[in-house]
Amino acid sequence: METIKSDYLDEKLDQVRAKDFLKYRSGDLPTWCPGCGYFGIMDALYKACRELELKHEDICTVSGIGCSGRTPIFINSYGFHTLHGRSIPVATGLKLAREDLTVFAVAGDGDALGIGGGHLPHVARKNIDITFLLFDNSIYGLTKGQSSSTTPHEMKTNSHPVGNPDTPLNPIKLALAYGASFVARGYAGDPEGMKTIIKQGIQYKGFSFIQILTPCVTFDKTNRTWKNLKENVYNLTLHTQADNMETAMRAAENEPFGVGLFFQDKERLSYQDILRNLNS
Amino acid sequence: MKDINLVIEICGSAGEGTISAGEILSRFMSAQGYEIMSFDSYPAEIRGFGKCVAHTRISSDPIYSPGKLADVLIALNDIHSISQLSALKNKGILIYDSQPARPHEEDKSVLGWVDPGVISYGIPLTMLAQRAAGSARGRNMVGLGAIAAIFHMDKDGFTASIENRYAKKKKIVIDSNVNSFLEGFEWAGKHIEKIDSFSFEGVTMPLQKEKLIINGNQLVARAALDANLKFYAGYPITPATKIMEILSKELPGHGGTLLQTEDEIAAIGAVVGAGFGGIRAMTATSGPGFALMTEFTGLSVMAEVPAVIINSQRGGPSTGIPTKTEQSDFNAALSGGTGDCPRVVLAPTDTFSCYQATVLALYLAEKYQTLVVVLLDFFLSNSIRNIDIPEKPSESLLNANIAPLPEELENYQRYKITETGISPRAIPGTPGGIFFSTGLEHDEYGRPNYSDKGHLKMTEKRYKKYAGVLTEAPIPQISEFEGEMADIGVISWGSSAGAAREAVMLARKEGIKASSFSSMMLSPFPEKELIDFSDKCKKILVPELNYGGQFANFATHIIKRPLERLNFITGRPMASEDILEKMREM
Amino acid sequence: MPSYDHYVILGNGPAGNNAASFLRENDKDAKITIISDENIPFYYKPGLTRYITGDLSASELIVESLPNYREKNIRLRLGQIVDKIDPEQKIVFLRHKEKVHYTKLVIASGSRARVLPSMRGYAQCLKHITTYNEVLEFKDQIQAANDFFIFGGDLVGFKFIKMLGKMGKKVTLLIYPNAFWPFILTHEMQATIVSNLEKRGSEIIVGDDIHTIIEKENAYMVKTVKGMEKKVDMVFSFNGLIPTVEFAKGSGLDIDHGILVNETMQTNLPDIYACGSCAQIYNPVINSYTTSIGWPNAVVQGEVTAMNLLGDHKVIESVGRKYFDLEGVRIKTTWWEDIEESSSI
Repeated sequence: METIKSDYLDEKLDQVRAKDFLKYRSGDLPTWCPGCGYFGIMDALYKACRELELKHEDICTVSGIGCSGRTPIFINSYGFHTLHGRSIPVATGLKLAREDLTVFAVAGDGDALGIGGGHLPHVARKNIDITFLLFDNSIYGLTKGQSSSTTPHEMKTNSHPVGNPDTPLNPIKLALAYGASFVARGYAGDPEGMKTIIKQGIQYKGFSFIQILTPCVTFDKTNRTWKNLKENVYNLTLHTQADNMETAMRAAENEPFGVGLFFQDKERLSYQDILRNLNS
Repeated sequence: MKDINLVIEICGSAGEGTISAGEILSRFMSAQGYEIMSFDSYPAEIRGFGKCVAHTRISSDPIYSPGKLADVLIALNDIHSISQLSALKNKGILIYDSQPARPHEEDKSVLGWVDPGVISYGIPLTMLAQRAAGSARGRNMVGLGAIAAIFHMDKDGFTASIENRYAKKKKIVIDSNVNSFLEGFEWAGKHIEKIDSFSFEGVTMPLQKEKLIINGNQLVARAALDANLKFYAGYPITPATKIMEILSKELPGHGGTLLQTEDEIAAIGAVVGAGFGGIRAMTATSGPGFALMTEFTGLSVMAEVPAVIINSQRGGPSTGIPTKTEQSDFNAALSGGTGDCPRVVLAPTDTFSCYQATVLALYLAEKYQTLVVVLLDFFLSNSIRNIDIPEKPSESLLNANIAPLPEELENYQRYKITETGISPRAIPGTPGGIFFSTGLEHDEYGRPNYSDKGHLKMTEKRYKKYAGVLTEAPIPQISEFEGEMADIGVISWGSSAGAAREAVMLARKEGIKASSFSSMMLSPFPEKELIDFSDKCKKILVPELNYGGQFANFATHIIKRPLERLNFITGRPMASEDILEKMREM
Repeated sequence: MPSYDHYVILGNGPAGNNAASFLRENDKDAKITIISDENIPFYYKPGLTRYITGDLSASELIVESLPNYREKNIRLRLGQIVDKIDPEQKIVFLRHKEKVHYTKLVIASGSRARVLPSMRGYAQCLKHITTYNEVLEFKDQIQAANDFFIFGGDLVGFKFIKMLGKMGKKVTLLIYPNAFWPFILTHEMQATIVSNLEKRGSEIIVGDDIHTIIEKENAYMVKTVKGMEKKVDMVFSFNGLIPTVEFAKGSGLDIDHGILVNETMQTNLPDIYACGSCAQIYNPVINSYTTSIGWPNAVVQGEVTAMNLLGDHKVIESVGRKYFDLEGVRIKTTWWEDIEESSSI
């Protein structure tokens, strides 16, 4: 296969090589738009894996369809780019089959909350030990700018040119309500903060739900822009244990966006541990 | 020795012990050395007042179909039995409760509806049950006792079968049932003036090897466990639910995991995920669930991830008729989904082959890294046979994944083009084997690639697997030809194959030169064998349980000649009598 | 106005069936049920003797097959025995404990072989030709047997004797003058019959009676009062018919031998009619009740009953075939006329 190389890319590659998490990158270059928030997410992911010293072959990244669906291509791990909305069930099967693997399930807002929305409550209540990364840019990017389940009310999109008639979902509140036992939020502009959250998520034995706020620089010029996001996020200063559901719910109210760990239930057993208990 | 070939039906209301009486009868007859095939039908609704029928065919010869009409009907419930009279032979025998608690209202007595020719024996079922155990619950056993006396069955053997059935229950339960049976036996022996000529007297079957009394669903579960199944995901749906229920009990003990999912999409998704993880995984469903699973059939084939779907067909389309049998998912199984999507489809032709089909499905899915659909139907799932205990699968069938050699892991190409279409598959966790899989068209590394040449090459690769699968397919069952040519060749599939085979045997007795063909492997199909068969038949008949003749249409494209069809969607299994009648017309 | 009548007809013979057909033709909506204790669809009873010889097959005996009933929407209950009638609640109780509700009831239950009181002890040894099932049981036996003992006489009996003669069987007939009940043979008539039968090789015993019948090794030893002994293969009794009306006893219906009806076939109870050989019809000429036998009479009576059920007022007239040829003697088939004639002889 012929690879197109430009000076820009060479330069970019050199920069990346200079960092020690390079080895978690695959040889393929991301196809996302320049300036996309997803680059930041990837950086955080690489760093988290490095710091936890995960073996490449023991990581499996499962994605759905959409811009986020490409994620596994860019991680030097086993990767499975599945169907729209279905990263959760596939990751569930994979984790139950192979407890030894670290399984990431990746989904966009349309993927996870729209077409695949039905899977979320169940993976949460079962407490399957996977790390779920919701790349939330509140728009359909790959199909070029239609409203998603998190697009703000009255925002103009290509599917709703006079304004989105729907009320957006609040993913953190949903996850809390579904009984997810680890609920956190990251921000694409803060790779360090995200890294910490992702690391915690990986280490957490159970379903960890991580919403990541990210702009779509191409199809959202008004709402979730880098500028707006920057102005609207703050670091959560919750109780360090983050074990209070009510506090978490309140903190999950709409903007400004609290970033950090909302809630975790350290006592709760993962699905496989529950099965072991039941069958012993 | 005289032949025994008898169909006994017990008809009652849910909760009257209809099904358990049928079960005891089957077990007793099996223990006596007879072949049995039994089939229960019961209401789709939850336990309540629905009609239950336990249908049991008993024969001293091999059985291929359940028998269309009953020789004996034991009516535990008059209302339900009235509608069952149409399934009683016109010279059949009716056993009814001669002493109901109060007179039946008009048209509500089964005896009020019998056709002339039917021999009716009135037994005071309720009264005798009361006498034996102080409650009417044992009416089913009284009924069994009565037929045991009337047909001269082995009383002690029968009693032992009842004791066995309730062995795990309290003594009072065993006693009540046995006493009710004996009460019926003695009463009928004393009071019934036998005017039929049916008798088991003087018939002794040779001692048999230990038999397994089992239905298709149970056998699928057993086969899956024997074939190293480690993961099952599923969503409850009639008539496949039992497979999940059995596995949920058995899988943990076999080191596996069972997952009940939120829907069938999640079920097949989890199966594909587990398959990606390198263990054997499957799901079982029926039409509506299969429709949902269709989403994943393409991914399994495209990303070359092993997956097995058992589809026990029921009446369709849509939610259809959950508790009736049909063979109308042929098209959906072979081509449900989008794109050029070569998958393997197997359809067992009888209870025994449910075992083989399941073992084969898990093996082929793993080895050929593809989707395998096994088509059962309500009848195969639920009908009970006594079969020889199946041999466990050999080692070669249990470990079928072709893993990459160390040298292949240098510059590993997950989707390497090969002669067989099979690319060595690394399992996650394998150092150096890292790859990326996708439902997008891709190159040999798995990276998305939409070039025309690339798409053609990869499509060809996926189709190439068919040649290999065909070499491992069971040979089609073809009944021996009498002479060079047959007048009628009957081509069938799935659960109709037994009836077709039986019809051919009956037709030969009438001087019709006939032969039958059936193949467990439906996709890829053994086309050459079918064409050879067709060339030796003057006329072709395709009987199947669907309206549109789905398999007949398929076969027409292979044999390229007109054929006769026989289609039923009555919800009953195919009957040899119906096929025979059609053959006579031809 | 749509009718919701439920006509229940007891009996599946010519009277019952003709009533049913006529009712159906004129009342499309009504429910019609025929109940019969016999287990065979409507068949031609006079054909039973020819069925024995094989001149008629079983299927040729059938007048109306089961599908015909379904087509006519007549519910046929075969092999079902009526235990009793409750005219008050309008219910027919069946032996198998089922209640059938009628709005109009037609009793056309026919008649069966009369067994003389003196012969009741030997009922086991006697054979009759009244129903298909009876005949079916001994049909093959007749083919194999050679010697027959027949006592009584009557119309069916004479037909049977004639037939046995044709088959080359040996027949001994002990003739009873009152075997033609309700018709009674005169001496002259009897003499003519005897001489005709003797010409054909039958042995006739007159003025004697059965003393004992002993069953022995598949044969019967018949002893007469006058000391005659005869070893035969089968013994038949032909002593006329008596109406089948036991189930109606105690219901309040007026019954003599048969169920008493007026000239419009109505019984003493509302909505209950009777016709055919189970009925005794009032004859104003003699101011008494008479029974009629024979297929044509039954057909007519069935139809007249149906007409009256439908609101007509039709008076029965004895029509159809009135005479039977009996070994050179003509006998009328209706009682009152016979009585008239015999009294004038």
